[in-house]
This record gives sequence, C-alpha cells and structure tokens, in this order.
Amino acid sequence: MTADANAVLEIRSLAKRFGGLAAVDDLSFHVRPGEIFAIIGPNGAGKTTTLNLLSGLLIPTAGRIHLSGREIQHLPSFERTHLGLGRAFQVVQPFPEMTVRENVQVGALFGTPGIDRAEGDRRTDAALERTGLTRIAGQSAEELTLLQEKRLEIARALATDPTVLMLDEVMAGLRPGEARQAVELVRDVRESGVTIVFIEHVMPVVRDLADRVLVMDHGRFLAEGSYAEVTADPAVIEAYLGRDDDGTGDEDPDRDDREDPR
Amino acid sequence: MSPNVRNRLRDLIPVLLFAVALWFLPDLLRSWSGRASVSYLSLVTNGLGLAVLALSWDILARTGQLSLAHAAFYGAGAYVTAILARLEVGPLWLGIPAAGAFAVLLALGLGVVTLRLKGIYFAIATLAFTEVLRSAVRQLPTSFAGGSAGMNVAPLFRPAFDPETMERWEIAFLRNEGYFLLYAGLLLLTIGLSLWTRRSRLRPAFTAVRTNEEVAGVMGVHPARMKLLAFALSSLSVGMLGAIHAHRVGSVIPEGAFAVSTTVFALVTPIFGGLYTTLGPILGAGVLAGIEETLKRNLADGYLIGYGLVLVLSILFMPRGIVGMVRGIARRRRAARAGVTSEGGEA
Amino acid sequence: MDPILILQAVVSGVLASGLYALVSVGLALAIGVIGIVNFAHGEFFMIGAFLTYQLFVSFGVDPVLSLLFVAPALFLLGAVLYRTTIQYVLEAPELNQMLLTFGIGIVLQNLALLIWGGDPVSISGIAYRSVGFRIGGISVGLVSLVSFAISIVLVGSLYLALSRSRTGRAMRAVAQNRIGASLVGLEVNRVYLVAFALSALLAGIGGVMIAVIQSPTPTIGLAFTLKAFSIVVLAGLGNIRGILAASLVVALAESLVATLVPNGGTLSNAVFFAIIFLALVWRSRRTA
Repeated sequence: MTADANAVLEIRSLAKRFGGLAAVDDLSFHVRPGEIFAIIGPNGAGKTTTLNLLSGLLIPTAGRIHLSGREIQHLPSFERTHLGLGRAFQVVQPFPEMTVRENVQVGALFGTPGIDRAEGDRRTDAALERTGLTRIAGQSAEELTLLQEKRLEIARALATDPTVLMLDEVMAGLRPGEARQAVELVRDVRESGVTIVFIEHVMPVVRDLADRVLVMDHGRFLAEGSYAEVTADPAVIEAYLGRDDDGTGDEDPDRDDREDPR
Repeated sequence: MSPNVRNRLRDLIPVLLFAVALWFLPDLLRSWSGRASVSYLSLVTNGLGLAVLALSWDILARTGQLSLAHAAFYGAGAYVTAILARLEVGPLWLGIPAAGAFAVLLALGLGVVTLRLKGIYFAIATLAFTEVLRSAVRQLPTSFAGGSAGMNVAPLFRPAFDPETMERWEIAFLRNEGYFLLYAGLLLLTIGLSLWTRRSRLRPAFTAVRTNEEVAGVMGVHPARMKLLAFALSSLSVGMLGAIHAHRVGSVIPEGAFAVSTTVFALVTPIFGGLYTTLGPILGAGVLAGIEETLKRNLADGYLIGYGLVLVLSILFMPRGIVGMVRGIARRRRAARAGVTSEGGEA
Repeated sequence: MDPILILQAVVSGVLASGLYALVSVGLALAIGVIGIVNFAHGEFFMIGAFLTYQLFVSFGVDPVLSLLFVAPALFLLGAVLYRTTIQYVLEAPELNQMLLTFGIGIVLQNLALLIWGGDPVSISGIAYRSVGFRIGGISVGLVSLVSFAISIVLVGSLYLALSRSRTGRAMRAVAQNRIGASLVGLEVNRVYLVAFALSALLAGIGGVMIAVIQSPTPTIGLAFTLKAFSIVVLAGLGNIRGILAASLVVALAESLVATLVPNGGTLSNAVFFAIIFLALVWRSRRTA
C-alpha cells in the first residue's frame, strides 16, 4: 500500500485495544501539507489516544501511520521527532529546575540529530522569538503563568523543527484574550510552513483556525470536512447531543478515561 | 569573553584550586601534626572516598534511576583487582582500570535489563541484583575468589624504610599518602565526569529523562542511551573506588565488599548535600565523613543509625539538600529585593 | 531423590508460606491503601521478634502471651511513625517516600543493633518448641503448624474485615479514590493511620512467630521487606488471594532449594533474589 503522495500525514485503519476495549478502531484520515487540521469529538472519543499513537507513546494494535510517505508506527518517539513530528502536550510538562530557555534547548538540541551548540542556540532563540518568550527566557520554568507555560510547550516543540506539529487542547484554561493570542500564534506557525494537527474542545477556535475537521466518536471515524460541513452533519450533532444527555457537561476538561493505561 | 568560556572557567578554577589544595595537603598535615597526620590523612581519605561514592551515585540519579546497586559495582571492582592480583596477571595497579572497565560492563548489562523499570521496581531490582551478585561471589571457588571468608589483597604501596632519614611512623604516612593521592585523583576524575554531564547538552537530556521519559522522547532525546550512559559513568568511578579500597584495606570479603551500607552512604550523602549537583555530594561527604568518625567511635555496631537519621531528617526538612536550601534562600532574597511577584506580564 | 525428602520440603514450605503471607499482606495494605511503599516494613517484623525475645528473657513471658503485648505495641509504633513522618510525604514525589521509609528502616535496624548486638538470639527452654508430629515419614513442628494456622486466620480475618467492616470499606474506598473518598466525608488521614498501624501490627505478629521458630538477628528486616515486596508484586496489588498463592510459590521454592540443592541453605536466599529480579524484569518487558 503506497501512501498518498499529497499527504504529509496519513493514517490507515489505526486501532488500539486495551484488553477487550477498543480506544481507537479502524481510524483512517490524512493531513495535507500546510493545513490546519482539527480533531474533535465528545469526551472519550479517543482523540488523545490517537495523538499518543501518532507520537509514539502508544503502540498501535493495528494500522499504519505514514509521515511524509514513511511508515513510522513502529518507531520510538524520539525517532519520529527526528523525522519531523512534533508535539505539544495538553497537561503542560515543563522541565523544572531549568529555565525557559533551557527547556526549549532540549527540543533544539535533540529534535534533530547532529545539532551542535551554536545551531542549537540559534534554533532556541528562534523558537523563543516566535512564541514571544524571549523576554522571560531566563526565568525558571516553575514560575510561569498558564499562558506562558503553553507558549513554552509550543516553543519547545517548535525547536525540534517539525514538519507536522500536534497540539493537544492548547486553549484549555485560557481567558478569551489569551486564547486569541494563542490562535494568532498557531496561525503564525502555520505561515512558517508547519502543518498543524490539533485537538480542541473550544468550538469557536476550531471554526476560526481549522481548514479541515475530523470528528471522532467512540474511537471511530465519524465525519470529516470543513467546520461548516461537520457541524451540520446530523450524525455529529447526535453524537454530541447524546453525550450531553448524560449530564457530562461539555465544559469539562477532556476526560478521555480510556486513553492512558498508566 | 563568551558565556561558554566564562562558564568553563567558573567551573575549572575551583576544581583547580581544589586539586592544588589536595596535592599539598599531605605535606601540610605532616608538618603541622607530625605523627598524628597518619590518622588525619586516613580520615581525609575516607572523606574523599565518600565523596566519590556520593558523586558517582548522583550522576546516575540525574537520569531518574535511583539505584540500590551501587554496592554491587563497588564490590565487583574490589574483587576484580583482588583476583587479578592473586593471579599475578600484571602490575598491581592494572587491577584498578580493569575494575573500572568491568564495573562499566556490569552496569551496562544491568542497565539494559532494567530499562523499563521505574521507581520502586527499579530500586528493588537493583537491590536484588546486588544480593545475587554477593551470593554468586561467595559461591566462587575458594582458590579463585576466597569464598565466604574472602581473601587478601596485596597492598599498592610498600614504602622503603630508611632509618637515616625517616621516623618509623613515616612509613605509614607514605603509604596513606599514596592512597590519598589515588583517591584524590579518582575524585577529580569523578568531578570531571559530573561537570561534563552538568555543562554539556547532557544536562538538559538527563534532566528531561528524569522528569518525564516520555516527554523527553517526544523532544527527540534517546532515553535508553542517556540512561545507559549515566550507568556507565557512574559505575566507572565506583568500580575503581572499590578496587583502590581493596588494596588499601588489604582484603576483600563478600559481606564487606557488597555491603548494603555502601549503597546507603552513596545515596544519603547526595540527598543531604544536594541532589543533581556537583558540589552537593562533595559537601555532604565532607560533613558526613566528619560525623561518621564520631559516630563510629561511640556507637560501633549501630553507627549507621546516624545516616538513617540524617536521611529521614533531610527528606522531611531539607529535601533539596544543603545546596538546594542555600540556593532557595538566595533566590528568595533576590526576588524580595527586586520586589517581583511571580505574575510576570505577557512576554 | 528421596520422595519423602521432597514431601518434607513441600510441607515445610507450605507451613512457612503462612508467615510470608502475613507479612506480605501487611505491606500490601500500606501500598494499596496509602500508596506508599514502606521499605521499613520488615523492621516491624524484626521488632516484633526482638520484643518477644526481650520479654521472654527479662520477664519470662511466654511468646504466646507476648502476642498480647507486641500486637498493640507495634500498632502504636506504626501509628506514631505515620503521624510524625509518613503523613508529611504523602504528596511528595515517590523518590522522597522511598527514601524516607528506607531511612526509617535504617534507623530501626541500627537501633536494634545497638540494643541487641549483631548476633542471633534465640528463645530457648520453651517446652513446646520441640514438640512435633510424625505423619508417615514427615515431621511437622507444633510451632510451625500453629504459626501457619494463626497466619491464615489473620489473613482471612483481614480479608473479611476489608470487605465487611466499615473501616475496611473505608480503606478500600480510599485506596481506589482518595479525592472522592474525602469528598464523601471519609477522614482520609485517619484511614491511612489505621492502615499503616495495622500493617505494622501484622508484621509484628509475624515477628513473634519467627522468634520462636528461628534465631533472628536485627538484620532480618531488610530481607523480609524484599520478600514481602516481591510477593506483593507477583500477586498484583490489592489481591489477597494472589498474595496467598505467591507466598506459597516463594516459600515452596525456598524450601525445595534449601533441601534438594547441595549447599542449598546459603543459596536459597540468592535463588530467591534471582527470582525477584527476573520477575521484575519479565514484568517490565510485558507491559510495553
């Protein structure tokens, strides 16, 4: 099976089972270079699991992942990063005991093999500048506001020089003003030639940013298309409404309990 | 002066000063205290040994691997040199680098096998490993390794006695001085290794692996390689320490070479002094070695209790060790002076 | 390969497994309910043994009677340790917890060394110590038999208490969901206290028995901590039946090696540790 030449990221029949439970089942989609691709779905739809499968934190039970035409589903995380797949995490995990700059440096020095000190510094500075962190670069990573932490996550991922950047609920917990800044940042990153794949719950953001949207439910593919298309899709509406009936308020932070076996 | 060069100098100068001080210390002691310097020198040597033990353990801890197998590499080093000495394979001192090399191989083996183990499971596995090794050594043929009674180890230094120029006690002094210099050299080597992991790109890599191995991987760090490298660096020092110590003491015995107390010293000292730093373990060693003498003299059988108390109290009141505490105070003072709150506006 | 010999080894192993189960269940309680791996658990066992010895030597108290003293004494010790140290590291990183209990273990062990020295102590001169039965060619010591019975009864009672009693259910609730439990009004800290003290008590009772069966030294604590831990790991947390099974496996292995392998006595410890090591490594490979 050859990969779609136009796709920078191609997923075919991806599946992940935990015991008898299928967190992700027969999922297929592709992402075109330079686009902003959103993955949405009700709680527990398997979105974060999918991201974990893509970045190598989980090994798929079945299916294939192609990055720029190359099969990567059996590769460890760091190799995928070297090939250009970057990720910013939902629960921000800065490395404590290090400054903002040093945090970004990790990504810069190791994101691609064979980077020397000078080049690493260059990339670090570039990433800091892009995310507006240059001023607080010397600050300890333990003393940041939420927005600063999220910028740091993105800066760190950018420093690894990704072709595809995956973002997991960047907007969660941000105030409207901050969210607008985050949206600007994401647009900025795309302008520089990076493909974006992001999970999001905040719908206005998805509407503003996404070129295409994938809707997942129960670990499966539900719908795909533009924001307008999927939100008009009756199956999608039902999936969301059906969940709301359970009383799981859609204001909750994503609680994909099937995702993380730890 | 570029920041990198400045940093290097900032590290090198204290180390050089330290090396110089160590070089002149024995003679200074001799002129100051004469005969008593024999035991003083021995005490300082113990302190240096503890520092090597502590610093080498800390290097491994920087990758989040809290090993209880330090005694295993120490003992392995001791036995390698003892066996080589007995077999008379080459000059006596050869046993020391051989011990280091063997310890590294052993550590890599253990490291590979325990890569997926974390936290308490890793600790228990390393402890079990040490126990198995000790029993295995005990089972070795007596002619080869001495069995459970152990065997003697030839000393490295046999100073010649010249009645014209020397007093009797100076033989012991020269012998102690020899070992002192070896320990000092080993400590300087270990300091070098520690600084390397603290100043090079290894520092962010080790810290990343320690903080969160998965996230580190996603950042492009090769976690297994980092962990194994740490194992190798850590065991090199402690293996050679075990070897030198074996010559100094003159014998090896399974219970002593693989004693749990070695591991206890190795981990209590950096926690007390300050984890993940170069200065912390050395500082901790200085203080604890001093206390240990007093403890040993007064408490014989249960003197380790002092270490236990230090450990408990450190965890409860000073989890970042002396260095961490000092740094914390300095940081708070700086922040108070600058009048900054941690809200920091948007960058 | 004398079948009688093998059978004897099996019987001895089975009887010894009771003690292992008792000590392990205590540790499982601490790990499962509180979430803390108590490196000092074996020291409670050791203290139980030495208290028994001292009571016997100083006051002539029969070990059976000393149970009445040792049990509450160790409960108290566990409670005090929890209040003064353990409860402060519950939110701290696992490293700190591990090191704290390790330090407590060192303190307790060396305290015992200071008080009793490093040599083995034995309780001699008790009539029932040498009483035994012979069935077929198999000899069974009365003490071993009674220890086994007591252990099984205690483990069984704990199992029942955890499933039926209010405190037991509280412990299980806390074990599963600390935040949820406190929201419902359970005083989590008190539950932890009881759980920890209880784990010390169970280990201590085991210690009383070992004082009669063997000649303990103050250093047996660490070995028992390791054994208890491996049994708990082998059994899977929160699984009392698993602990019984794992204890049986471990005790049998030890007994068989000691009997059948030449020089087995000294080797059995090493074999045991090798099993732990391999089990841990194998387990880590499986969860990939």
